Parts: sequence; C-alpha cells; structure tokens
Amino acid sequence: MRGTDDSAIRSRNESAWLLPNDGSRTDHRLRADMRRYDLDEEVDLVVVGAGAGGSVLTQRLARAGWKVVCLDAGPFWDPDADWVSDERGSHTLYWTEPRQIGGADPVPLGSNNSGRGVGGSMVHFAGYVPRFHPSDFRTRTTDGVGADWPIDYADLRPYYEQIEQELPVAGQHWPWGDPHDYPHHAHPVSGNGDIFLRGAAAAGIEARVGPVAIPNGRFGNRPHCIYRGFCLQGCKVNAKASPLITHVPDALAHGAEIRSSSHVSRVLVDDTTGRATGVTYLHGGLEYRQRARMVAVAGYSIETPRLLLLSASTRFPDGLANDFDQVGRYLMVQGAPQTAGRFESEIRMYKGPPPEVSSEQFYETDPTKPYKRGWSIQTVSPLPITWSEHVTAQGHWGSVLREYMRDYVHWSTLGALCEFLPHADNRVTLADEQDRHGLPVAHFSYSKGDNDKALMQAAQKSMEAILHAAGASEVMTVQRYAHLVGGARMAARPEDGVVDADLRTFAVPNLYITDGSVLPTQGSANPALTIMSLAARAADRLAAGARSGLTEGARR
Amino acid sequence: MPYRAPNQRAVTPQGRGRFPGFDVLEEVHRWDDVTAGVVLARLAPTTDLSFFSLAEDGAATALTDLLFAQDDEPRVPVVAMIDARLAAGETDGWHYDDMPQDAEAWRQTLAALDADAQDVAGTAFARLEHGNRAAIVQRVQDLGADAQQWRGLPAHRVWSLWTRYGCAAFYSHPWAWNEMGFPGPAYPRGYKNLGIDSREPFEVADADGTDPVTSTRTVEQFRTARSRLLDSRLEGGS
Ligand SMILES: Cc1cc2nc3c(=O)[nH]c(=O)nc-3n(C[C@H](O)[C@H](O)[C@H](O)COP(=O)(O)OP(=O)(O)OC[C@H]3O[C@@H](n4cnc5c(N)ncnc54)[C@H](O)[C@@H]3O)c2cc1C
Ligand code: SF4
Repeated sequence: MRGTDDSAIRSRNESAWLLPNDGSRTDHRLRADMRRYDLDEEVDLVVVGAGAGGSVLTQRLARAGWKVVCLDAGPFWDPDADWVSDERGSHTLYWTEPRQIGGADPVPLGSNNSGRGVGGSMVHFAGYVPRFHPSDFRTRTTDGVGADWPIDYADLRPYYEQIEQELPVAGQHWPWGDPHDYPHHAHPVSGNGDIFLRGAAAAGIEARVGPVAIPNGRFGNRPHCIYRGFCLQGCKVNAKASPLITHVPDALAHGAEIRSSSHVSRVLVDDTTGRATGVTYLHGGLEYRQRARMVAVAGYSIETPRLLLLSASTRFPDGLANDFDQVGRYLMVQGAPQTAGRFESEIRMYKGPPPEVSSEQFYETDPTKPYKRGWSIQTVSPLPITWSEHVTAQGHWGSVLREYMRDYVHWSTLGALCEFLPHADNRVTLADEQDRHGLPVAHFSYSKGDNDKALMQAAQKSMEAILHAAGASEVMTVQRYAHLVGGARMAARPEDGVVDADLRTFAVPNLYITDGSVLPTQGSANPALTIMSLAARAADRLAAGARSGLTEGARR
Repeated sequence: MPYRAPNQRAVTPQGRGRFPGFDVLEEVHRWDDVTAGVVLARLAPTTDLSFFSLAEDGAATALTDLLFAQDDEPRVPVVAMIDARLAAGETDGWHYDDMPQDAEAWRQTLAALDADAQDVAGTAFARLEHGNRAAIVQRVQDLGADAQQWRGLPAHRVWSLWTRYGCAAFYSHPWAWNEMGFPGPAYPRGYKNLGIDSREPFEVADADGTDPVTSTRTVEQFRTARSRLLDSRLEGGS
C-alpha cells in the first residue's frame, strides 16, 4: 500500500477492521448486538436505503453521536450464506419488484441497474470508482449543455480523497480531470485488460489500469482478491468494496440501527409545520411508523422520486418537495455500448475482475466535433448469460447462436460510458399498476437526444479502433445503458431542482436526499464514488452546524 | 456426485462442443457449498410444469428447441426452467409499458405462435413441419427489426422476452458451460493463470477454433429467404 496511514483511516472509519479475520465474512456478534431504537422514540435521523449514499450518511452521523435508524427494503446480506458464485443464482441481489419502462428508448432495469438490500447497488456494481472531472460541475457555463452544479469540484475533492482511502481504491496514477494518485497500486490484468492496453497503445489512445474499489493486498480484515470474475454477482471474498463492508460495520459499532427487510411506504409530514416527522414502513406484512427529527431518502434514482410522489399530503398535493414539478425529472442514464472483438488467441475474459483498465481520453468536449461532452472506455467481461445478450442482439439464434456462444473464449469486450445530457421529460412518474404492497409502481420514461446519439456512435468507433488495433478479426456491438442518476437534482434555486448544495430539500427543511438522485449531470464517470462523497460532505455539514440548526428549527 | 449418473461425464447439449472432455462438474468439490447447491439443482430431474398449460408447453418446447437448436438429446430443460420462473413470479423487475407483464406476455405470444401455425397449415405450432416453424420464428424477428407489430404486440419486444428468458435458462446450465469451455463457479478457488492463452490445469483448450462469423453466414441468409415465403400466407404487421 502507498502513502496512506491506516490509523488515519481507522480514526474515521473502522469498518475493515470490524470484519472477522477467520475466513468468514460477517461478524454476526456485531449485528446481534446492534442497538435498537423504539418506534416511539424520536430518533435524530431516519435514512431510507442502506446503499451507496444512505450507508455513508448513516456511518458518518452515527460516529458524530446521532441516533440513526437506517431502513432498507432488502435483506441484511451475509456473503457466506446468501451469495453465490453464479450468474443466474444472483437474481436476488436486484430490485425485482415491478416497474414499467417506456419512452422512445426504454431503459431495462433489474440486474443492470438497481440493487436491493444492505449495501445497495454496490453489492453487485462492477467496482470502477473514477472521480468526476472539474468540468462536470459547470457544463452549462462551459459547454452550453446540461446544468451547472451549486457546488464545485473543489468542494467535493476532500471527500473523494477520504472515500478513496476507505474503499480503498487501486490504480495507476490518474492523468485526467484533476490528476491524482490512488492509495493502492494497480492490480495485474487478465487477458481482457491486456487486449485493451495493447490495442490502446497501438491506436495511440491513453489507457490506465484502474481505478477499482478492490484493495491490492489485505486491507484491515479484508482478504486479497482471488481474480474469480464474479464482481457483478456480489463479492463472496469481501475483496470488492460495498457499503455492507466499507461503512455499515462502523455504523453499527457507533450505535446506528440498520433495519432490513423494511420497505418505506411514505415519508410523513406535518402539514401545519411543513416538516417531516418520520416514515411509515412495511415489514413482515405489517405497517410500522418510525418517528424522527430528520429524514434522509437514499433509495436510488427510481425509488427516491417514487417515494416522494407516494408521500403526497394536503400541503404537498403533487408529491413531497414537488412544488415546482421537479421530482422525478432530469433522470439520466449513461449510454453504455459494449463492443466485443474476436481473436485467434484465447482471451477467457471471465477470469479476473471485470473492472481492470479504463481510458478517459475522450471525456471532455472536443471542439472539432459536432457534439458536446464525451465518453470513457473500460473493460467489461460479460459472463455467459450476459454474453448471450451480445450475441442475440446481433439477431443470432438457433445453431448460429450456439456457435457464437461456443466461441466465447476468443472474445474480448470493452464498454463505453457516454455522458447523456439531462432532459426534463426523462422522468419517473407513478404508473397505473401496483406492487404487492398495493403501492403504485414507478414508470420510467426515457428518450435520447441528438447529442446522446452522436456520442454513442463516436464511442462505438473508438472501441472498434482499439480492438482492431489489438488484432481483432471481427467486432460486434450491443447498445446498452448504465447507471441511473438524477431525478431529484441539486440546484441553486427551488425552481430548478429538489435539493440545495447541502442536499437539503428546498421545500421541507428537515428532509434530505443523499443518493444518486441529486446529480445534475453525470459526466462519463461511474457514479458510486461521487454519490458516497456527496453523502460524506452532506454529513460533515450536518454534523458541524446543522444539528443546532435542527434544534432551532424544531423550536420554531 | 449429485444428479449425475456414472456415465454422464463432460455432457454437452446434443453432444456438441469444442472442448473435448471438459467437465465443470469435475470441480464441484472446489466450489463453496451454497453455490454448489444452487447450480447442482439445475441438474435435478424436472417435475411437471405448473405455469404453462399443455398447449402452451407444446408451443414453448417447439419454440425454445428452435431458438437453442436443441434438435436431439441430451437437452437442457429450457421450458421447465422458464416455467419455474413464471410460476414463482420471478421477473427481471421491469416490463415495457406497451407489453403485458411477463407471465401474461408468455401466454399471449405462445398462443400467437399457434395462431400463425393455424393460418399457415391449419395445425398447432408444435405440429408444424420444421421449416415452417423456423420461418414463423424468423418472421417475428424480421418484423421486430422493422419495428412492426406481430399479432398485436411489438415484435421486437416479443423477441426480447423469448431470448431473455431462454438464454438465462440455457446458459445457466452446466452442460452449456461444458460446451463453451466456461468453468462456472470460481469460489473459493479463484484463478491463478491470467492472461492471453493462459489456462488453469482444469481448463481445456479450444480444439476446433471455428470462426462463427464466417461459418454461420449462409445459415442466416437461407433463413431470411425462407421466411419471406410466408409473407403471402400471414397477415403483415398485426
Ligand atoms: C451491474 C451494475 C454495475 C455497476 N457498476 C458500477 C461501477 O463500476 N462503478 C460505479 O460507480 N457504479 C456502478 N454501478 C452503479 C452504482 O452501484 C449505483 O450508482 C449506486 O450504488 C447508487 O447509489 P444510491 O445510493 O443512489 O442507491 P443504491 O446503492 O442502489 O441504494 C439504494 C438502497 O435503497 C433501498 N431502497 C429503495 N427503496 C426503498 C424503500 N422504499 N424503503 C427502504 N429501502 C429502499 C434499496 O434496497 C437499496 O439498498 C453499477 C450498477 C450496476 C447495477
Ligand atoms: S474478482 Fe476479486 S473483487 Fe471481484 S468478486 Fe472476485 S474476489 Fe471479489
């Protein structure tokens, strides 16, 4: 490990040292001894969702002495007992309650998008954790597209550094955006990563190993990666980071309660004061109510807007914090075409973690091109079922499908992330269909703009160039989307968004949103590091001042 | 060895494959028990269907046999695997707003195959001669490529439904992994020999190396020509 001092990390977050070191993955004692709050007790904070944003907020404020209850709709995972080293067997990791998709370019959800359970979507995220670039925070001013954030890169940078140490991140020196180093050295690469490095070098494109949330070496009681390639199915090794192992243990040790299998059905507001008073949630077929002085919603870009819309009241007839019709709007996905190339050699891309090598050479606006903003390129390594999507997307079936599938070991795959721009009509609304709780499900409508389409094509060409330069005889591309963010965005004014720079809703002074929903733009970086860093920043600001502000507010 | 008769070594669907002798099940002792339980259950003898009716079973079997070229034994029990999912209501967590929910969509599309077969030859899809069956399936794909409806549903969404459920079943089966040289579960053993043309002791080299891109072109050209012949006998768009 490079330059970072364990004791500095431990003084902030002890999670990795709170895991067992006997070959098992869960400290059952810590969970059994978890503090439990009464439903009638007015806790300092209820957090909805124990994912990327919710877990960090919970951990930080529990450490600051707040009484925090974090509710998650899914299970409190035990990697030993609950997760399998198998693609099909991992369907329990995904949010599979019904949702409707529509628009001109509907975005499939489920396995490709959102998770359920303590750890959230990071349980099955690939593990790439790049920072956003400084330019991402002011695309409206600089490029005339997207939106400006109410904060700057410099506001987030100290939190990027903290979270990179806590995950921790391994990778080569990063030359793009704000250049920086990572706490851990880069991992060795497998055949797929090697193809990317060779092809990029031959095509004159810069590529780097990393940045991945997989420590290179032991970190606390987390073992080394065994290069088994099932990162998207949940890491049974405890090598790849997810809040379940990076923030939840420390939160429990500091008195937070994580209430799993608890689906929040409504955020409660007092219509006379206009303040949030707690939440109702469903557990084991019964409805409960938890009182709280403050509520933070962190349920992912679909469930967060849905919950706000479901929480309409007399004061908020169109949904909570939706006075300006902003809730659910400006939802974004990244265009994520994946291009595979065929080689005479055996690549066997299923070996090694899928996240290995990336390039941000095309991230920024290129003034010589007709489109704005850009894309990144990363290795992706589809396992058989996902690989079959690549093959069927070409129209192959029957004996042809089987022949392509038998050829699996010869293919190498790259994925791009294109910065699609925010559009007001890309949004979540409530559908005419209900879930098993009788609550209307989310309808997610998505349509690409012209800039989005142009980026997707350019990104595909760049990946084809790399694969051909590496010696691929044939290439094939599948059009996909990844990484939902937005839907309750941060803005300078209530007319333009749902939350302010501190992630506090404009409409309800003690209601916060601390997940990917708040992103006004998305760059072409994977979002988890930025989501965690935003939550860490919001927590710092709450712990520093807003607690007194809270009491004052309560007195009002 | 659970769910494996003594003579069942290195089984591949229809005995096809390019990795002679490769058998992922030889490594079961190096898988963790939880994963082994989940994967080996796929080898258990299938029970009677609980979601599909008899008629739907016929159409679904004929359809998936075509989609996966399962024209002989041993077969991966694709229909039983789809049936179990639909019976349990285990969806992917989303559906297109211009399609019914998955279970209903399966019923409707299987009935639509039978309706096409009635129009073509006055019989059920499963009883149709192979060439006509393949032509009907190809035609659904072609309509989808042209963004057209097929019997009241957007054809490309129908194609997505069939291939999504079908592939998740077929390519989760250890026999399919044997066929493609994929060693399956890898915990706790992991991989030690990363890199191009590197293999673990238990991996087997591709013995054939057929390039699918060139070898399969004629099959697809023939299929398209054949399905065009049906256009005069079946209604176009919807
Ligand atoms: C296949 C895949 C690969 C990915 N790869 C990467 C990657 O490489 N790098 C990267 O940065 N990002 C990646 N992501 C995206 C990343 O995981 C998400 O962006 C991130 O986790 C979102 O954080 P969040 O806090 O918004 O929500 P989540 O982490 O999804 O957490 C939301 C939590 O809220 C809970 N919840 C929702 N509604 C309710 C409710 N009503 N009541 C109670 N609980 C509720 C859910 O159960 C869930 O646990 C990937 C995602 C997927 C699916
Ligand atoms: S490849 Fe490494 S990080 Fe990924 S799941 Fe396996 S052990 Fe975990």
